[in-house]
Amino acid sequence: MSEIEAEIEEVEAPVEEESETEVKSTRSEPETKKEGPDKWGIAHIYSSYNNTIIHMTDLTGAETVAISSGGFHVNADRYESSPFAAMKAANAVVEVARTKGFTGFHIRVRAVGGVGSRVPGPGAQAAIRALARGGFRIGRIDDVTPIPHDTTRKKGGKRGRRV
Amino acid sequence: MSFEKLLRIPNERIAVLIGKSGSVKSKIEKQCHVSLDIDGETGEVLIKTSGDVEKIQPFKAMEIVTAIGRGFSPENAMTLLQGENALHVIDLREFAGKSNSNIERIKGRIIGEGGKARRNMENLSGTHISVYGKTVSIIGDTTKLRLAVDAIASISSGSNHGAVYTKLEAANRRTKQEKMKLWEDQDVF
Repeated sequence: MSEIEAEIEEVEAPVEEESETEVKSTRSEPETKKEGPDKWGIAHIYSSYNNTIIHMTDLTGAETVAISSGGFHVNADRYESSPFAAMKAANAVVEVARTKGFTGFHIRVRAVGGVGSRVPGPGAQAAIRALARGGFRIGRIDDVTPIPHDTTRKKGGKRGRRV
Repeated sequence: MSFEKLLRIPNERIAVLIGKSGSVKSKIEKQCHVSLDIDGETGEVLIKTSGDVEKIQPFKAMEIVTAIGRGFSPENAMTLLQGENALHVIDLREFAGKSNSNIERIKGRIIGEGGKARRNMENLSGTHISVYGKTVSIIGDTTKLRLAVDAIASISSGSNHGAVYTKLEAANRRTKQEKMKLWEDQDVF
């Protein structure tokens, strides 16, 4: 490899710069993985009666680290929100996050909110526990359920939900 | 790790939340590993935890405090800790509009004569129901909870009591059948 790079260096100047930066980046990646004394992220947990979604991001919240949901891990619809499915999803996410070098997570739990339920569903607790058991340090746990000051009308119309 | 949440419950329920010489409060704090700061004048309850992540149950504590605030007895509220029980609060203003007399009428329909309708629904759906102020709250297993919510919504929007009971009975029969089927084709997980 070094011979080839040397040849390129001789031939063209701009290409040489690119190859250098590439080499640098490949070198720097494993270093951060090994060192990484503290690498914090945010785990967004959306927990409703129908499903639990765990979405891990970096501290800005813009960059996804790992994502999984209860529906990935069970086949029957009614088990998607169960604590068991949430635990499975959390374990799957823990694996990916660990390979990317994260050591701790702040947690933001969210229920449906708005016109829906304002208490997190059954999966939230199980997901947090699985994250802690996966070896991550847990920072703040926040409840970020959107709560309106004045609500829009609940769906179903004036005569209510007709079953 | 830390968690903080401020809840407000009616002033007259503060006494129930604290209990006789703080028994209910200390029970919640012990079972959920949280600490409750209760302000008796404003009705504000601050739930704080800073303990072992594997033990704490901050969201269960939130549910229990709101359940007691919504008229449940401490014994019934503590059933939230069992299994997959959850709390659901229905605002009756959705069905009645702003008129207070209309809300009173609907509350009467849900409770029934001497509490008959409410007891029937509790027995048929296997949940606890509490009618308090402008809300109806239900504690129960997540699947049963949905049945009870549907039943109360249809009674509030004008269905006959009889029709609602038959619907609940039919649902019970269906779940029984599904339980029998479960052993034949296991697609559980």
